[in-house]
Amino acid sequence: MSAAIWAITAFLFSAGLAAVVLRRQLLAMLLGVELMIAGVNVALVHYAGRYADAEALAAVAVVIAVAAAEAVVGLSLILKVLRSGRGLDAGDLAELRG
Amino acid sequence: MSALTALWAVPLAGAVACALAGRAARWWALISGAAFLALAAAAVRLSWQAGAVLAVTDALPGAFGVSYKLAADGFSLSLVALTAFLNLVCVAASWELEVSAGYWACFCFLASALSGVFLARDLFVFYVFWEATLIPMFFIIGLWGSDNRRHAAVKFFLFTFAGSIFMLLALIAIVVAHQRATGVWTWDLDALRGTDLGAAAPWAFLGLLVGFGVKIPMVPLHTWLPDAHTEAPAAGSVMLAGVMLKMGLYGLIRVALPLLPSVAESWLPILGTLAGINAVYGALCAMAQTDLKRLIAYSSIAHLGFCLLGVFSGTSQGLTGAALQMVNHGITTGALFLMVGFLYERAHKRGVADFGELAARAPRLAFFFGLATFASIGLPGLNGFVGEFMCLSGAAESPILFVGVPFFALLGVVGVTLAAAYALPAYQTVFWAPAGPGSASPRVGDLRPRESAILWTLSGLMLWIGLAPRGWLALLEPSLRGLVK
Amino acid sequence: MTAAQVPLSAWLLFAAPIAALLLGFFVFRPLKPEWTHLPILLSCAVVTGASLALTARVLAGGSFDLNLYRWAAAGRWAIDFGLRVDGPGTAVLSMVAVVGSLIHVYAASYMKGDPGFSRFFLVFHLFFLAMIGLLTANNFVQLYLFWELVGVASYLLVGFWFHKESARKAALKAFLTNRVGDFGFLLALLLILTSFKVGHFQLVYFLVRNSTTMPEFLPLIGVLLIWAACAKSAQFPLYFWLPDAMEGPTPTSALMHAATMVTAGVFLLIRAWPLIAAVPALPPLVAAIGAFTAVFAAVLAATKKDLKRILAYSTVSHLGLMMLALGLGQVAVAVLHLIIHGFFKAALFLCAGNVGHAIHQPTANVDDVGGWGPSMRMTQACFVLAALSLAGIWPFGGFFSKDAILDAALARGGAFALAGALVSVLSAFYIFRMMFLTFHGARPEQKGLGAHPHEAGPEFVAPIVLLSLGAALAGLLKSRVETLVVLGWQQVPFVVPIIGGQLRILRADLPGVSVLPEFSATVFAIGTGLAALGAGAAYYATMMDASWDWRWRASSPRLSNVFESDFGWKIVVDRLVAGVAGFARFVGQVFDKAWWDGAIEGAGTAAGGAGGILSGFSRGRLNDALWWMTAGTALLLAARGLR
Repeated sequence: MSAAIWAITAFLFSAGLAAVVLRRQLLAMLLGVELMIAGVNVALVHYAGRYADAEALAAVAVVIAVAAAEAVVGLSLILKVLRSGRGLDAGDLAELRG
Repeated sequence: MSALTALWAVPLAGAVACALAGRAARWWALISGAAFLALAAAAVRLSWQAGAVLAVTDALPGAFGVSYKLAADGFSLSLVALTAFLNLVCVAASWELEVSAGYWACFCFLASALSGVFLARDLFVFYVFWEATLIPMFFIIGLWGSDNRRHAAVKFFLFTFAGSIFMLLALIAIVVAHQRATGVWTWDLDALRGTDLGAAAPWAFLGLLVGFGVKIPMVPLHTWLPDAHTEAPAAGSVMLAGVMLKMGLYGLIRVALPLLPSVAESWLPILGTLAGINAVYGALCAMAQTDLKRLIAYSSIAHLGFCLLGVFSGTSQGLTGAALQMVNHGITTGALFLMVGFLYERAHKRGVADFGELAARAPRLAFFFGLATFASIGLPGLNGFVGEFMCLSGAAESPILFVGVPFFALLGVVGVTLAAAYALPAYQTVFWAPAGPGSASPRVGDLRPRESAILWTLSGLMLWIGLAPRGWLALLEPSLRGLVK
Repeated sequence: MTAAQVPLSAWLLFAAPIAALLLGFFVFRPLKPEWTHLPILLSCAVVTGASLALTARVLAGGSFDLNLYRWAAAGRWAIDFGLRVDGPGTAVLSMVAVVGSLIHVYAASYMKGDPGFSRFFLVFHLFFLAMIGLLTANNFVQLYLFWELVGVASYLLVGFWFHKESARKAALKAFLTNRVGDFGFLLALLLILTSFKVGHFQLVYFLVRNSTTMPEFLPLIGVLLIWAACAKSAQFPLYFWLPDAMEGPTPTSALMHAATMVTAGVFLLIRAWPLIAAVPALPPLVAAIGAFTAVFAAVLAATKKDLKRILAYSTVSHLGLMMLALGLGQVAVAVLHLIIHGFFKAALFLCAGNVGHAIHQPTANVDDVGGWGPSMRMTQACFVLAALSLAGIWPFGGFFSKDAILDAALARGGAFALAGALVSVLSAFYIFRMMFLTFHGARPEQKGLGAHPHEAGPEFVAPIVLLSLGAALAGLLKSRVETLVVLGWQQVPFVVPIIGGQLRILRADLPGVSVLPEFSATVFAIGTGLAALGAGAAYYATMMDASWDWRWRASSPRLSNVFESDFGWKIVVDRLVAGVAGFARFVGQVFDKAWWDGAIEGAGTAAGGAGGILSGFSRGRLNDALWWMTAGTALLLAARGLR
């Protein structure tokens, strides 16, 4: 049973990671981050059920709340970038150069 | 005696006052410079009469045994007095310049940091003051220098800073070795004497040598000097050549030789040869220069080569002569740089070929320049000869021979012979030869009363030290006795 | 003897010139420069009186040598300055004082109207003071001090008319050549201090005489001192600055480059003679250098056309004779010739000055003069007296010293005898050639007839008359000089304070300072015969075959060039100097700036370049950063996993 959950977690996490790293569209990168968070949540819930650990469930609640906040911040930043007329391609936003 | 703290605190206070003063900054610089000189003179007098070492020691609640320790013997005080005197000369020479308050603040700060270097007896405090001198000098060259000032300022800073890193590493190594041997953390110079570093000793000495050698400057670490001097404003060159170059020699005598005497002893052939190379190489390069300031810069390298010969000779006349020559060089080269500064201020040109016939247009300038030139090439009767002769006399006692002649003395005498070859042709071209069509000479008027007064003071000192050096030597000799073999 | 017992005349020797210089520089020069010579002439008179008084004192046996002033000290090393009043010193001092004062008087008239009048007199008198100091120094360091000062005064005076390029170059050449010689003096000085621990003449003499083995550096010291003397006294190979130094005003040439400064080299050797004589190989070296230079310069003097240059080469030749005498061990003879030469050479130079003054030039060439005897009777008469003295004709002064040198040379035989004979002939030849060409019969190649020379005024002529009379009558001094040198040298007590409060008086037992040779009829005959031969040849070459001088030059330009370039030596020297200057340029501009500094600046550029490459890694793109993060995290986890 746990193997399947770990597989789902790994799939979600790596899909999310791939989306973040490989995609250039900012919204897609944000979606990828959300996917990674979802994967972690799955693993946490499974763990909570498996070992009857209430702290894990509490962690899930915290993660969901933080993810929501982070989504809000992320979306407002993306809106800002969009409104400034620079498009949503991460490749174009390269001003913090070395 | 907390009076010693005053020696570096007074100019620092002056720097703060200048920075805040705005238009009246130069008056604050003058006041603090005069106060500093008075204090320094009083300290010299005290030291001479009492023959004692004035000291102040406060243990800082710091880590690793760092303490606030100052001490002043004749040698240190002579350099502090030189700093104070040249600082005042610089203020007087720059009086009419249109510069911001920062200029005056930088000079005061520089004087304070230099004074701290010469008084510190705790290695950490020494290092802090050492590095502190770089900051005002960087700004002086970089903000108020000539055309290529940015490059020269950065080069100066990076070069000397890089050297200081090696010095810091060496100092840390010595402190750590002392701690391993005795279990006590201390940065006190007197306590660290005789620390045994074993196999690391040559490396530590090399680090110190590099750090001090950049400042002296020792060939091959000298290339920052011509650029820095050429681009610095006149007063900046005076402080740079007059005092800052002496920091390196001071460090050698005060720190490197007492801490690692056995290494110095075994490296004597190399060190003496390097010193001799300084004297000869500096003179040869000076012969090829067409810019007056660059010429004097290379001649400084040659002069400090003589000082090095004296220091490495380990004889009392060599060491005392080197110490005296440090003061002499400050006076003579300071005078030369000042006069080139006066020329540049009037004509905005520094090349030897840009002038001519100045003996007719500016006879007083010609007189002082001639006097300073002869002092610089070591004419007996003027101050340059005393130091050079004593250093060479020390070097001649070395047993290292080359075709039957003491090698280091031979190099030194070659340097003395070549000195006339770089100084006099330049003097003749500027003052005696006819002015060419593009010459800047018509713009050069004779010295103003303020400038004359400064040069009379400097010339008077040159004659005094040249004819009656005994008193000055008596001030310096006791401090150096410990280094005589 | 203590400082309080030093006679007033010794203090006056220094006090008068110093007072005159200070007065002249601070009072007269700014206010009334044309009166600068007044305190200076007064000082000359005082100095002359003082020197003669001191000489009388030494003749009466009152020589002394004591330290007066500790100049520098460090630890156990100390240098003291003091006074040494002894035979050779006072003998030469008197000559310098008398000749110098007369030339000062001449210069007051000669330099009148020159814009640099004040500067001239101040530097001239500074030189005078330096010469006094040199002659009364009691140790090598003090002598070196005044030696250098004399060199500086020479530089300033040769380059007096500095708007002329030839004068500037000549001044530089003089100073730098002397500096090359001073290389030897300074190194010798350092070695003396290292070997003997003291620099005082008397102490060094004592130590040299009483040491069982020769001190290690003594031969080297001797050679270096000889090198220094060669530069100052214009011996081969360092003589070439002296002819060019004629660019200076005539009083300079007369005083410095004839009578006094150039004799400083010979004087140094006299002072150092006990050291040099202690090394067997050195006196022959001195004699050889002297003999070679004497002949070399005499030949060249016979071929020159500029009047002052003829006299310059003649000076070189006579200095060579002095060195020859010294090298043969005849110290008294060398001193005698030094003194008499001072008189006649100064007189000759001032006559040449008169000739030049007549045509309003600083110097005259044989092309410009000719047949001026009738118009310049006084000058001609003085010239004749001095010329006879130079040629060594009895009973004029020069005979006594020349004869003695010839005697010593002939006694030694071989090359020295030949050199002595040649110099006798050539000296007579060149001086009479100069006389005939200037004062007798204008030749077609000369412009002499066209010009109307006027005799110089009495203020110009009077000093020369006195000098020529001195040159003529100097033979009377012979025995006095002998007494001074022999007695005055060996009788000098030097008080040495020794730790413990006891004083010790040292009298050094000096090597045989020979007396003047006895009169020998053979040498008299040979000497007079050779001089007559030279004079006769000159008469033939100038009066009977009047155009000889111009004809050989025209017919053989190659030969003319050989003589012009001093048998090629001037070319060698120029090449050497150019080589050194080129090497300096290479070191200063190529090696230091381009290569070494270039390498260091290159390191800076390289660091910048490396930074540029490295900064290429961060293009500011989010995706790159994310890749790096992922890769880094994976690596960390892998490392953790491996552990």
